[in-house]
Amino acid sequence: MPRRTRRARRARRGTTIGLLVVASIAIITLDYRGQAHGVISGAKRAAHDAFAPVQRGVDALTRPVGSFLSGAVHGGDLEAQNAKLRREIGALRRQTLSTQATRNSLRALERLDQLPWVGDIPTVTAQVNALNSSDFAATVQLDKGSKNGVAIGMPVVGGAGLVGQVIDVWSSGCTVRLITDINSSVGVRFGSGGTLALVQGSGLGRTVAVNLVSPGTPLHKGEVLTTSGLQQAQFPPEIPVATITSFSSTPSATQETVSARPLANLAVLQYVDVLQWESAP
Amino acid sequence: MKRLGGPSRVGRALTSADLARSTIVIVVVLVVQNTLLDTVRVGGAHPDAMLLLPVAAGYAAGPDRGAVFGFFSGLVADLFLPTPFGLSALVGCLLGYATGLATRGLVRSSWWLPPVVAVIATAAGMGAYAILGGVLGDPGMLKTYLAPALVVATPAAALLAVPVLRFVAWAVPEPGAGHGSPSGRGSR
Repeated sequence: MPRRTRRARRARRGTTIGLLVVASIAIITLDYRGQAHGVISGAKRAAHDAFAPVQRGVDALTRPVGSFLSGAVHGGDLEAQNAKLRREIGALRRQTLSTQATRNSLRALERLDQLPWVGDIPTVTAQVNALNSSDFAATVQLDKGSKNGVAIGMPVVGGAGLVGQVIDVWSSGCTVRLITDINSSVGVRFGSGGTLALVQGSGLGRTVAVNLVSPGTPLHKGEVLTTSGLQQAQFPPEIPVATITSFSSTPSATQETVSARPLANLAVLQYVDVLQWESAP
Repeated sequence: MKRLGGPSRVGRALTSADLARSTIVIVVVLVVQNTLLDTVRVGGAHPDAMLLLPVAAGYAAGPDRGAVFGFFSGLVADLFLPTPFGLSALVGCLLGYATGLATRGLVRSSWWLPPVVAVIATAAGMGAYAILGGVLGDPGMLKTYLAPALVVATPAAALLAVPVLRFVAWAVPEPGAGHGSPSGRGSR
């Protein structure tokens, strides 16, 4: 190959990758600074709305394949479960299972209907239809969106406590950031004195960290942390968030090291309530 | 690997049919990702076929086309992700370019080459994603999420490499001289 042609090709290649990198950084910057937020969130909404029927259709067709793949990953657990199921198979009938599944769903919905701490805040009951789409965030997708009255920033609760907050919404669905996500922060209060603290996520399936607890603060395992509801808080007051599982302190530490387990079982979410509550400005 | 589009497509400019095929590939892989692969979850992580698109494009068609394909497939992926918008596009174009540069000139007759390239490139892509996320103010992407993502996504990349590469090679023609072809043609 002539040297000049090779050099020209190398220069063109450098131009292409350079332009693409600059374009990417420009897009990230515009998103980060909020200058193109309307355009980007509009594009995201349109993409989700266009994709939702396709996803529902393909999901219905491929669910057995997805279940098979999921089962293949958890093969060891399944073998143990199969052995147990074989012993019970005589007693189980298809109708019974179907009825049981319906009862479980009903029970989950009834639990949502009787949440004492929701008070008179209007709610939208939604079903979790997808888990986190990114390996780098702890989120779930719900089947209710802006046409059902869901908006960005609304708190989401499950049967036992706070689940997370809506961070993205389109007409037929929304994305909820779980309280275990590393970018999640929830102002809480606990104890008889109403000590204030901040619950921060540490990743999916892990305990959450309770920060800003001064050394010497009386702490007890199993103590329930509830949302603080302070002015400009992102959540209404008195929603149970987590229970303290461990705490420790070193002499020179400026705060106690406290871990807590979320009260809502975030691994098996089925139905949740979106609270139509917005933070006071 | 045998090119599905036929030898007549080698060494020519992209046509509207190539663009249509590329769009089909991105949409189909996106649907497979969101409906099937997202359900295969271990430790909160799942396989990532969208990240394999730029890798396959770089491998099949060289650095330039790998970068362009990676940019647009990343931009589409970003529409459905809660992470900063544009991050997948940036990682995609860098990954497509780097894969194209690193693999040009390689003789493509070995059956194990695509899976090995996919594993290395996926690990590099995940690392770049987490590091850039950390630079953008989200250090937990590196500290918390990277390890489980690598454990799940890299073996899955080895399994998905051949079908994704064949699918992408059908859509993106190789530019011809100066680039080793997936079938071994044109290697230097």
